[in-house]
Amino acid sequence: MKTAAARQRGVEHDIVQAPQVGEAPPYYQPQGNEVAIFEAAYKRRLPVMLKGPTGCGKTRFLEYMAFQLKRPLVTVSCHEDLTSSDLVGRFLLEGSETVWQDGPLTRAVKAGAICYLDEIVEARTDSTVVIHSLTDHRRKLAIEKKGVEIDAHEDFMLVISYNPGYQTVLKDLKPSTKQRFIAINFDFPSEEVERKVLVNEVPGTKPEIAQQLVAIGRKARLLKDHGLEESTSTRALVYAASMIAAGLDPVSACQVAMVNPITDDLELADALMEIVNAHFA
Amino acid sequence: MKHTPAIDQSLAELQVLSAAAHREIESVLPQIAPHGEADTLHWLAACRALLGFEREAGLAFIRGSREAEQVSEEVLPWTGQALAFMQWRASWRALEGFMANVAGAYGALGHAGEKRWAELGFAWCVRQIESGAAYFTTPVIDLAGRQGGITAIEQLLAPAEELYESRKLMLGTCLGGAIRVRNLLGAQAILPWASRGADILQTGRTRGEAYFRLESEESLSMLLEHLPGYRLTDRNRLLGMLLDVWFGGEFDLRESTWSPEKGRPFIETDGRTIYFPAVMADREEAILALLHTAGHMRARTFDRAGMEEMFLEAGLDFPKAGAVSWAPLFLRYGEDALRFQLIFDICEDLRVDAAVQCSVPNYLRRLARAARALGVRHAETAPYFDLALESIEIAAAGRADPRFASLLEPGASVADAWRAAVKLYSGSDLPAVTDLEAFHLAYLPGRSPNAMRMAHPQETDDQSQQQQPGTDQQSQQGEEGGEETEAPKNAESGEQGEDGEKQEVPSYGDSSGQAARASGKSEQEGPNHGSSDKGIPYPEWDYRESRYKRNWSWVQEKRLAESNMTETNRLMSQYALALKRLKKAIQAQKPTRAAPLTQQLDGDDMDLNAVVAYVAEKRAGRSPRPTIYKRREIRQREVAVTLLADMSTSIMQHLPEGGGRLVDRIRAGVLLFAESMEEVGDAYSIAGFCSKYRDNVSYYNLKNFNEAMSDDIRAQIGGMSGRLATRMGAAIRHATASFEGVESRRRLLLLLSDGRPEDYDDGGDRRYLHEDTRMAVKEAVAKGVHPFCVTVDTMANQYLPQIFGPGHYLVLDHINSLPNKLPEIYLRLRR
Repeated sequence: MKTAAARQRGVEHDIVQAPQVGEAPPYYQPQGNEVAIFEAAYKRRLPVMLKGPTGCGKTRFLEYMAFQLKRPLVTVSCHEDLTSSDLVGRFLLEGSETVWQDGPLTRAVKAGAICYLDEIVEARTDSTVVIHSLTDHRRKLAIEKKGVEIDAHEDFMLVISYNPGYQTVLKDLKPSTKQRFIAINFDFPSEEVERKVLVNEVPGTKPEIAQQLVAIGRKARLLKDHGLEESTSTRALVYAASMIAAGLDPVSACQVAMVNPITDDLELADALMEIVNAHFA
Repeated sequence: MKHTPAIDQSLAELQVLSAAAHREIESVLPQIAPHGEADTLHWLAACRALLGFEREAGLAFIRGSREAEQVSEEVLPWTGQALAFMQWRASWRALEGFMANVAGAYGALGHAGEKRWAELGFAWCVRQIESGAAYFTTPVIDLAGRQGGITAIEQLLAPAEELYESRKLMLGTCLGGAIRVRNLLGAQAILPWASRGADILQTGRTRGEAYFRLESEESLSMLLEHLPGYRLTDRNRLLGMLLDVWFGGEFDLRESTWSPEKGRPFIETDGRTIYFPAVMADREEAILALLHTAGHMRARTFDRAGMEEMFLEAGLDFPKAGAVSWAPLFLRYGEDALRFQLIFDICEDLRVDAAVQCSVPNYLRRLARAARALGVRHAETAPYFDLALESIEIAAAGRADPRFASLLEPGASVADAWRAAVKLYSGSDLPAVTDLEAFHLAYLPGRSPNAMRMAHPQETDDQSQQQQPGTDQQSQQGEEGGEETEAPKNAESGEQGEDGEKQEVPSYGDSSGQAARASGKSEQEGPNHGSSDKGIPYPEWDYRESRYKRNWSWVQEKRLAESNMTETNRLMSQYALALKRLKKAIQAQKPTRAAPLTQQLDGDDMDLNAVVAYVAEKRAGRSPRPTIYKRREIRQREVAVTLLADMSTSIMQHLPEGGGRLVDRIRAGVLLFAESMEEVGDAYSIAGFCSKYRDNVSYYNLKNFNEAMSDDIRAQIGGMSGRLATRMGAAIRHATASFEGVESRRRLLLLLSDGRPEDYDDGGDRRYLHEDTRMAVKEAVAKGVHPFCVTVDTMANQYLPQIFGPGHYLVLDHINSLPNKLPEIYLRLRR
């Protein structure tokens, strides 16, 4: 969010845009050695896979790294109807002419950007295959429709994210795809890191509130195996802290940010609220 | 004393009639005489009449007169009422009761009330004299209850009168129970309770009478169902979740045999299991109690070393093994035992609560707040309550207090609590306690008498690994399958000192573990089957040698012999609504399933995107494939699924929350699954498995992929039952193999289980079959089959992630949701 602060809001800007001078870096609190790993991978231009639960900071990490490496970041959120032409590009009619328009992946390959395919498993298999040639030593993108090939810009890098959850059992990535990546495992940050995240993300959060929220999150994650599909994320904690900062009382803030969104199960909600109430008693 | 001649004459006649009665009359007469000659003569006449009617009745009348006159200060009305009894035969018991209670009726209800009380009774005497007797012999105070007044009595009788009219239910049968029901639940609860009883009475006299005496299970459960307060039985899952959150799982939770008659409900523990009553006063108390009781187990109240030290301190021998009674500790204090017990519990509970505070934020404050909010305190034990509250406040505020300082140290043990209690006791002026109710009310909300049950001393960590509770009791129960492995429904003890043995009953929590470890038979000793029907061999992974054992487990494919259409029909009607809902949901999803196929060579509609792309590419001078149509058609079957149900003995266990067995839910789940699959249209097969030794793995094929659903299959589902053990690996391998010849691209093996993989011949080495199952899963994945495990074992998150991998299993901690959830899970997975 801070990244965008320096940019003009409410206007179009190109998806391939390198961080500008003077822009504030996105906030990211390293959890372990992921920064070093990513830098090393970038040095060798190896593709990276980010694994981890929803809302633990994968996207933010990438924004941060792109900023640090001063590379533009092109993000594509994958969905089940995403085809390879959505990534690579297609012919468009313009007047009486046809115009080829590059897809986001092609543009990133040309511009030397970091291309981030979020939740790649959701995409159709034909789209996961186009990235194969980009992820090995060839570093090439074949544009079949135009009958051409592009050697990737030397700064180009491919990053995918992948959330091994139970909804995706049948949609697992093919092993041949998986093994082309350097994989970084993400999990929810440690208590200390998570507290720092809260205080930094939501200015004005009191340390004791941050501490309590983090403690609640920790306990709430223990309920994962009791029917929660996604456990309480760091993002949810940030939301709760934001609601508190906006003047809502802590219990309600936790309820609306951390309990109501993740479950419809009354008993589970009851147990979660029990945790919240205990901390804010 | 001087009497008028008429009275004297009357007396003389009475003396002739009965000398004993005459003496009684003489002694009562001075009280009656002041009401005037007419009244006195009337009374004497009544005496004579009643003596003549029945000697006992007359004597009862004379004896009761003294008090009746004293309270009512009149004679004629109750004399007249007493005479009324003469219209019924064998009414002396009713009259006796009447005379015993008439004074009370005047006192409690006033003159008008007494008149109504008598009328109500007479009405019942007309219907049945025994009912009248039951009514009149019941003290008025009891009839009127807490609320008091004649209206309360009318309310009490109204349901009985209604049921007499409609069902010929007698008041004598239900009065005692009705009073208790009224006292516990209020007058409105009597009618439903009694009409249910009337039904039961029709099916059998003894059963019905037991119901009305509140002695039968059914009436007790009916009572518990309607008891006001916070219902813990329905919150089993919540309790489990809270324990998991605050203390990290692994608690055995069970309902206790508490009934309203036993006084204040408490959550208790014996060091192994947490017992909760059906109902507690409110949610706050229940949750505090749960946390406190779990605290006892975590703060090592039952630690063997600590208890031993405490017994030593008290100069007692500590039993080497088995359950330990607390009683000797307190018996040393003789009459003062209850008093000392309270003091000890204050100390020990404080120690525990301070420890709980470390895990549960703000626990002490919450406890103190709940205690302060509690209005009722028993006068006799209020000082104890206040002392306990004070100790909590001291601990919460972190103040130093020499009395409790040693208990708040982090490493304090139960022996420290004992020492603190002895010290506190010696210098205390707390009042003596005799009344049990007062004793119960001395406890803060959430706390409970610690000595209620025999204690099971817990070993310290390194010892406990060798000795697992319940292992030894696991005989070879249920080897021969079928229904005989009824888990004890209420495997739980009574009050302390009464039954050490009952407590040793193996828990059904353990029985899911299958008698495997205790079978004592090694693989070599296993039965040798004829080789002809040995079935299909599969390899098994031995992690100890890191290699496969060839042809190790033998799977026999069978058809399920049992079928039960009645059960199927019952389930179908029970879940009719759920099924309807599921089918609706599936239909609602269908349009997206049978999505228009885009980019087709031919079809009934243009695919606009494809057309644009086609035209554009054409213009660009290329020759694109003319795939510009779309077609509406049910897409080729993409997914094939096998539902593989664990059919080991453990599924026969009764559900802890009641309402049948696990197998009922499994049958329902499988049935709903099958019916939904018919709606979805994916290829599916259903199978169950169980095992006994490596060479005897039974794989029951309920439905093949290419078989159509039929009533025969439905009936087989209804006939599913549990038997033997769980050799999961072999079953997974066989299920994987049976996917051969199925065209579908995506293959899902949905495993329905309730426990870990185990078999009789695993030699107690759980890891062996775990590792084998893990390998079987890996093999399945390599063959393009995705195993996914749905389990109802709440402990499953300890081993399933290793076997199936994170995200490839789902723990359903709400067993009742299984039937509905199973199809939903599948639909989710195939999305």
